[in-house]
Amino acid sequence: MGLIVVLLFAWMLVIAFLAFIACTFEDLESDMGSQSNPNSQVQLAAQVGQINRFFNKAISGEPLSNALYCATAGTVAWLLLLKLEPLVPGEEWKAAVLAIPVGVLAAAMVNMIFSVTSHCGRTAAMKRFEQPIYLDVLYGHLLPIATHAFMTTFCITCIAYIQSNLGTLSGNPSLNHPFALPLLGFIWGITVGSIGSSTGDVHYGTEREFQDRPFGEGKRVVYHGKITRYADCGVRTQRDIAGFCAKFGGPVTGMTFGLIILFENWRSMVGMQLSGFLPALPVFTSTADMAAVIGIVMGLLIVAALAVGNLVFVRWVRKKCGPFVGV
Amino acid sequence: MEPVLMILIVVLVVIGGLLASLGAHLLPVGGAPAAMGTATGIATGTVQIMLGATMTGLFTAASVATFSDSLALVALSGAVGATVMISVVMFMANILYVFGCGVVPISGRVDVDPITKEPQAPYKTPQTDGHGVPNVVFVSGMMGGFIGGLGGALMYYALLNYAGFSAGTAAIGALSIFVANAIIAAYNIRGTIEGFHDPKFKRLPFALATSLAVSLLCGIVVVIAATVLGGAM
Amino acid sequence: MTVTPAVVEEEAPTKKGLNFTFPLEETEMGIVAGIIAAVITIYTGFPAVIKGVGLILAFLWGMDSVHKTSKYGLGTGVPSIGVLAIGYGVIGTVMGLALAEYGRIGQLYPAVLVGVLVMGVIGLVSGTMSNHEKLIAMKIPHLERAMMELGMAGTLIILLECSIVTGSLNFGAVVTNVMNTGLIALMFIFSCFAILHPYNACLGPDERRERTRMVAVEIGGLVCVLLGLALVVLGTSPYGILDGVSLIVFGVAVWVVFFRMFIKACMDEAYSTVGTGLIKTIE
Repeated sequence: MGLIVVLLFAWMLVIAFLAFIACTFEDLESDMGSQSNPNSQVQLAAQVGQINRFFNKAISGEPLSNALYCATAGTVAWLLLLKLEPLVPGEEWKAAVLAIPVGVLAAAMVNMIFSVTSHCGRTAAMKRFEQPIYLDVLYGHLLPIATHAFMTTFCITCIAYIQSNLGTLSGNPSLNHPFALPLLGFIWGITVGSIGSSTGDVHYGTEREFQDRPFGEGKRVVYHGKITRYADCGVRTQRDIAGFCAKFGGPVTGMTFGLIILFENWRSMVGMQLSGFLPALPVFTSTADMAAVIGIVMGLLIVAALAVGNLVFVRWVRKKCGPFVGV
Repeated sequence: MEPVLMILIVVLVVIGGLLASLGAHLLPVGGAPAAMGTATGIATGTVQIMLGATMTGLFTAASVATFSDSLALVALSGAVGATVMISVVMFMANILYVFGCGVVPISGRVDVDPITKEPQAPYKTPQTDGHGVPNVVFVSGMMGGFIGGLGGALMYYALLNYAGFSAGTAAIGALSIFVANAIIAAYNIRGTIEGFHDPKFKRLPFALATSLAVSLLCGIVVVIAATVLGGAM
Repeated sequence: MTVTPAVVEEEAPTKKGLNFTFPLEETEMGIVAGIIAAVITIYTGFPAVIKGVGLILAFLWGMDSVHKTSKYGLGTGVPSIGVLAIGYGVIGTVMGLALAEYGRIGQLYPAVLVGVLVMGVIGLVSGTMSNHEKLIAMKIPHLERAMMELGMAGTLIILLECSIVTGSLNFGAVVTNVMNTGLIALMFIFSCFAILHPYNACLGPDERRERTRMVAVEIGGLVCVLLGLALVVLGTSPYGILDGVSLIVFGVAVWVVFFRMFIKACMDEAYSTVGTGLIKTIE
């Protein structure tokens, strides 16, 4: 069976779609447990006397923790695939259907273990600020954290599986990515985490944690640590926050990662297609070099478009919002 | 192994390490304060965003390295991949800052944007250090992503094709050397930086000197390993 | 309980304090762990469980170094220094494995320790330059020593993990079974976490070293479980499948014991542990 170009593009779109889901849930998972940036305020809150019922999930930054889950899921899935694939010759996808969820389940359990240790450890280390460990907060957040992480890790492991078998799936195994499944999981785990941290937390860090402060201004240093501890009804926990972020912060973050994956794969594929590299795959020839050149040019065009877009957008915002008017 | 090849490996690893350090200084990093609109830049740590961008670039560079043996094309593919990643992140972060928090993207370190000449100070919330990703910061971030991705892809290429490592070994080796340099740069930055217009950028030579020493030693280690094994990987 | 504010001290005796302590101080711990881990590293004939013990000791050593450096504030978070250690560790492992065949006696590979020493030197150089007042000027006491120890501990950790999975320290075997399969990604990130997570998770003014160390051992148990799984599936052990299974059992046992111990310690030593409750209002 030769390479089917349409199939290649179809798989690329599947990957971009999975990336969208992955990063949306990644952002919500970190919101569910105050990881990364918002964690600094939860940590500070007790020190400035604001005892709270937030979950202190301090598992390093999001890139490393997501790399941990995705590499774990990728490794376990890969080990299972190694054992299961010979059982179903010719129909390897059957092995993947079982192996990937089992691997991701292992990663979700690792996530829960690390969440428990960080919440208990950090709270116990804040003894002098009189912050108690609320057991209902501890137990009540674990399952939401694990389910959100399951979604993220599942999508990323699927992406890694598709990419490491991309050529096989579309007809020519030499197009498979040179990295193994766990390494791809690690790479995309780091990327998804750094996007979830850098874009996603904005919507939570400024908005939800400081809801009783004025909208439309950056959070002044004097407000730091003085987080909003009461919800619409009763005392706030993080479960109130994920619902808020799911409306705007999560999807926008998901779109960021989806766009990155789409642009990255799309420019390579278009380069291969336009240069005539695709169905025959003449490696290490001038045609192959041309494919890379077109890919680079496409990438530069995308970057230029984004830079111009930012210029226009910032100008529009400055006109629309005007100078700072508060005190 | 021929001496030319040995020197080439060391030179490429050193260049990659220096570029990693330089790229980390150019990225606009605001850390946790940026997530609250208290500081300008991307709301995460230097090492984290640098790694995220470089990994994206490395993914594309590794794909390109399977069908092209040109150093320039592999390195540029990695650089452009990292730039695409960082540009999308900065653009989408701006959308979140504006519609989610209602702040105008402005720089806290300069009064007038050096590129667009727009005034910054009147738009700034008192007691904060700027918010969002204004244009000068965007340009600096693009350069940082490009340079960082270039450094990572150069190291990957040197380890893959000159030292004769397998793809997996080359990737994790390049990542290890890269991350050491990026972390040393992060220690030099100490928290937040806006880019090339930031006063902290003047501290760059210190990080470059340290990076030079560390990557030189790492390059020599790689060359010794590659020579002893004689490409038997 | 090292530091307790005056208000809480009155009710402190009513609480069950956790008296368990690791017997060794930081320097002793570094020397003991380093020597034992190095001995276990160079002789690859040990069963996987013993290598697992060496791995946990190396984790404790690395964690101690992170602990004594990070309490002064690194400016960019605790995780970075753990990643630095394992980054150095991977480079040192490549070096050590390349030299492994020199002076090999049966299953004894003393030459891999050259990789450990070289990474100690690189760590020392980077620590000196980071702390030097004319350069980066981080002004952290003993950063030089800590970075040197981190480079050495990181190398020992990755070497031990390779030795567990492949049953030897032959470069070809490691490349086939660890690097090309992507297992190195799991080793890299899990070892990072074993070094950085304990202190990061227990960070705070009332942090206690014994409690922090339990987390390192607990994560060591998790690593053993995952490596044991890899060992069973890859079937590279000279002792057959039992080697991997025993490592998994060992890992689970270590994890259960230390996880329970840690959670119990936290709940006993926290200000209070309540089932539920409202928050204390201010003003």
